[in-house]
Amino acid sequence: MEAMPYTRSLLANGMAIGFHAKAAPPTVTMPRLKAMVSGAIGGFLDVAMNFNTQAMLDDNLLGQFFKIGWKMVMLGDETWLKLFPGLFLRHDGVSSFFVKDTVHVDQNVSRHLGYELSRDDWDFLILHYLGLDHVGHIGGRNSALMAPKLREMDEVVKMIHMNSILNQKNDEGQTLLVVVSDHGMTESGNHGGSSYEETDSLALFIGVKNNISDDFLSTHNIIHQVDIAPTLALLFGVPIPKNNVGVLIAEIFGYLSEDQQMKALELNSWQLLRLLQAQIPGLSCRNYPRDGLRDDQDFRIAKCSGSMEAMFCCLYTNAALLQKSWMYKEISRSNSREDYTSTVVAYYEFLRTASEWLSHRATDKPVRLLTVGIAAMLLSCLILLSLLFHTCKEVYLREQSLFDLESIKQTWYLDETFVLGVVLILIVSMASSSMVEEEQYIWHFVASTLNLLLLRKTIKCPTGAGAQDLHSSSKGKNKISFCRLSSISVVLISGRILRGWHQGGVNWTNLPDISKWLEQAGTDNVKSIQLVSCLLVMSLSLCVLFLFGFNMKFVLVIGFSFLMSGLLVLQHFVKHQDGMFASSSCSTTTLVQIIYAIMGISTFGTVVALPWFVRFSTSEMGLSHDLYMSTSVPNEVQNNTLLVKLRESLYLVGWEYISFWCLLQLLLQQTINSMTIVLLLVQILASMLYFSYSGLHQKQWVEIAALYFLGMAGHFALGNSNSLATIDVAGAFMGISNHSTVLSGILMFIITYASPMLFILSMVMYVSVKDTSCLPSLVNADSTQLLKLMLGFPCLVPLGLNSILLTAYTIVLLIMRNHLFVWSVFSPKYIYVCTTTICVYMGVSVVATTVTYTYWVLGLKKKMLGHHHLR
Amino acid sequence: MKQKKNIEMAAKPSLKAISKAEALVVHLISGFGLVVAFWVAHNVHSISLTSHPSHTLRLIWVFECPAVILLYSRYRKDHERCSYFKAVGRGLLGLPAGALINALGAIVLGAPAGIQYLPKTINWSLVMSLFTIVPAASVFGSSWTDWQRIFAFTKQVSYPQPIEPVDYMICLPAHGAVIGAWFGAFPMPLDWERPWQEWPICVSYGAIVGYLVGIVASLGFMLVRQHVKGD
Repeated sequence: MEAMPYTRSLLANGMAIGFHAKAAPPTVTMPRLKAMVSGAIGGFLDVAMNFNTQAMLDDNLLGQFFKIGWKMVMLGDETWLKLFPGLFLRHDGVSSFFVKDTVHVDQNVSRHLGYELSRDDWDFLILHYLGLDHVGHIGGRNSALMAPKLREMDEVVKMIHMNSILNQKNDEGQTLLVVVSDHGMTESGNHGGSSYEETDSLALFIGVKNNISDDFLSTHNIIHQVDIAPTLALLFGVPIPKNNVGVLIAEIFGYLSEDQQMKALELNSWQLLRLLQAQIPGLSCRNYPRDGLRDDQDFRIAKCSGSMEAMFCCLYTNAALLQKSWMYKEISRSNSREDYTSTVVAYYEFLRTASEWLSHRATDKPVRLLTVGIAAMLLSCLILLSLLFHTCKEVYLREQSLFDLESIKQTWYLDETFVLGVVLILIVSMASSSMVEEEQYIWHFVASTLNLLLLRKTIKCPTGAGAQDLHSSSKGKNKISFCRLSSISVVLISGRILRGWHQGGVNWTNLPDISKWLEQAGTDNVKSIQLVSCLLVMSLSLCVLFLFGFNMKFVLVIGFSFLMSGLLVLQHFVKHQDGMFASSSCSTTTLVQIIYAIMGISTFGTVVALPWFVRFSTSEMGLSHDLYMSTSVPNEVQNNTLLVKLRESLYLVGWEYISFWCLLQLLLQQTINSMTIVLLLVQILASMLYFSYSGLHQKQWVEIAALYFLGMAGHFALGNSNSLATIDVAGAFMGISNHSTVLSGILMFIITYASPMLFILSMVMYVSVKDTSCLPSLVNADSTQLLKLMLGFPCLVPLGLNSILLTAYTIVLLIMRNHLFVWSVFSPKYIYVCTTTICVYMGVSVVATTVTYTYWVLGLKKKMLGHHHLR
Repeated sequence: MKQKKNIEMAAKPSLKAISKAEALVVHLISGFGLVVAFWVAHNVHSISLTSHPSHTLRLIWVFECPAVILLYSRYRKDHERCSYFKAVGRGLLGLPAGALINALGAIVLGAPAGIQYLPKTINWSLVMSLFTIVPAASVFGSSWTDWQRIFAFTKQVSYPQPIEPVDYMICLPAHGAVIGAWFGAFPMPLDWERPWQEWPICVSYGAIVGYLVGIVASLGFMLVRQHVKGD
């Protein structure tokens, strides 16, 4: 506040009135602008529209001004231009999506200011400064750039105020300067949620006379953001926008005479009553007894109670009656101050009640569409589940007939029951607002419990592969069981570290966690951790690649391209030590674009080209496929070769997906998250090791569910939560040279869904390492059968889980639609749930396409080879 | 049935048979230990689990420890080769070992690992150890197959053993305590702002409730089994 001395002095001198304007969630720019000009509270989906603004068609202030022939000028955020195309006499839009720039966005506005102030051909001037928001996004509330930016804003206020004071002397009209902010920001500078800091915005009216004492303002200076619209409309004498739910701000009208103020209140009440009548079809206040009209001297005020409709009518009738009586008295010159006050109080009571009720049910619900939607969701959920059930039945019947295992017939497995129980727990927890806020606890808890159960199972039957490798030596068995035990322990330990990385959630964010501790340790340490984790990711990935070195030149090519992009990422880190402020330079962008290009080309190239480079020759069968040899049965060499080759290629492709995705995340994520990426990679690799040895004792769907749980736990470990405020906006402009909504949206999606996507992409590798000893026996099975067995679970389990959660949450949201927290807690979570669905569907289709394509190409090549040999 | 049991008895040193009444007494005494601990905490030290979790948990394990170890050592499995004092020694060894396992499990599941929580975690895991590991340590010692049978329900293919009454007495309360503690962790992240939501208070309550339910269930199982046998 010390940064704005001039504005402070205006407030102190009574030349301005300031308010805390409480903004409704979602606290992002576009819905807030709409709220301020139309007084309506928009739907929550406006957040999504925030990225793709369309013209505002509802009744609003600017439209009203335009109708009465005002000339308007707009400088600043181009959201205004998209919302109100064609309304402005002159405009200069600035893109709001390039958050790294804090200087030019404001210079671009201020450079026109002198010119515009010297002209008098406009009636309404809008200046939308973006710099303050960008400073917050980059450095948070306490950023070093904050004070200079506030001072700059103070200078702007001073300049305009001086000018408007001068104008007032030789002009007949008055000038009103309104300084508002669309939303507040959290401690870290983000916004979108509904915490006090985010919803606390500013409304400052400079240039209205007021005679209000300071102590009144210090207690009564909280309004709603929507109140700005009716206030401005009444001040300028245009109709209040139809959908307004705000109430005029009494303090601003202090300079008007009593009956003018009364008229303003009456107009506002009429408008709200009409809106109420639109919402409640049967509402008409005609039939209320109006006996007060007849004897004006003492009418009685009904005590208002009962149903909502009766309440509104009663409150309104009271106010109208009081006003009538006051006007009657005024005519007879017998009115008193008391009557006036009681009328005003009655009006405000009606206005406040109506406004509150209206803002809680601001949206209308198309019932039919909703029913159809839910029916479709339920149907798709049922279809997925029945598919899953059938695959399950088929696979386990086959296994039973193949191996005649006693253990398969055991009826009750703890881990399977647990997975089903988890689904129930998740559904139940969705109905509680605090559980939605603190969802990360559930996922961490559930993921580590499932892993503990797997650990217990490993101890229970140490030789996972079970009956079919009874012939192998006890030493090998010990080694395998040790491998499995240690890998699952690694998963557990890294899971625990991940849990401690970000405190997350809403209520306990102030508790200490590893990321806060590192940030306190200083930027240098964080930077070195970033470098170390980059090196770790590279060395781990290369190790895993060459550990199973299939003597192929292709492996070298892939390794080289990975190494190159890794080194480029490293260079990017080293070069930009002070990544905060000056990283929008040209060379950085080019470097990042080069990295994107290399990653994209090599990933896509590998997926497409790899199967064509696989060579079939019988001599290669002798190579040491240490993972697979134990399971391959010699008399089915032909089919085996295909299968072995398929698994080799899938292993490479899966590795490629995982390691390039990790590298991309290292580049995009916040510096503090780099070690988290390493831990996620470690978790994946350890799980793969564990699952490759687990054999038939573990049901596949349990393993895939475990991966899915780990992915969701990792999602929260990266600092995400169910509030929109945790979305990392600054990272979404990495390597984008000019503003593009689509590109930055994609990057934002990649950053936010890093972990679930990583775990779904790892399904390709999972398919390749999984012991599929039941598959080779399908000598004469057609390819669809084989693909179904390989792909069935990795695709259906994530889809099924996600579909259950989506459907359940939609129903929960419908039930909770009148809940107090529906806008602040449940709606943001719904956006996350929907986006998770998109993420799962994209990941699953990538997995399915990859596996199918590889299988198809390999089959084709083998057939060609067979023809060749025959000839 | 009788024949089969005789063969096993020959194959393995038998368990000392345990009757319904004995089981009831054992369970009553271990339940009584809990009651005494809470009584002392409330009336002598005038503290409760919620106000002084660390102290109260210490009282619980101090009172519960002799009861559990001394009682369960009487039912040691290898009765001939193992003296009573050796079984007690095994139980005493099992106490810190089990505490370590429980503490690790809790931390992996998300118990706070900060240094200020260390006394609470230690005392809690000692209590959990008495509920879960110590009885088994006293009875089975280092017989790995028995441990597997109790805690992982592994069916031995080579010689299927019938479930002994003492198995119920160890297995069900132990599992009850663990499951109770697991469910007890659920209120912790909620924003009710109650003092008992702190680690490890509600987890301890959950564990104690689960333990008591396990005791009742084990008595019930024994009754049902005896009934079936009688028929």
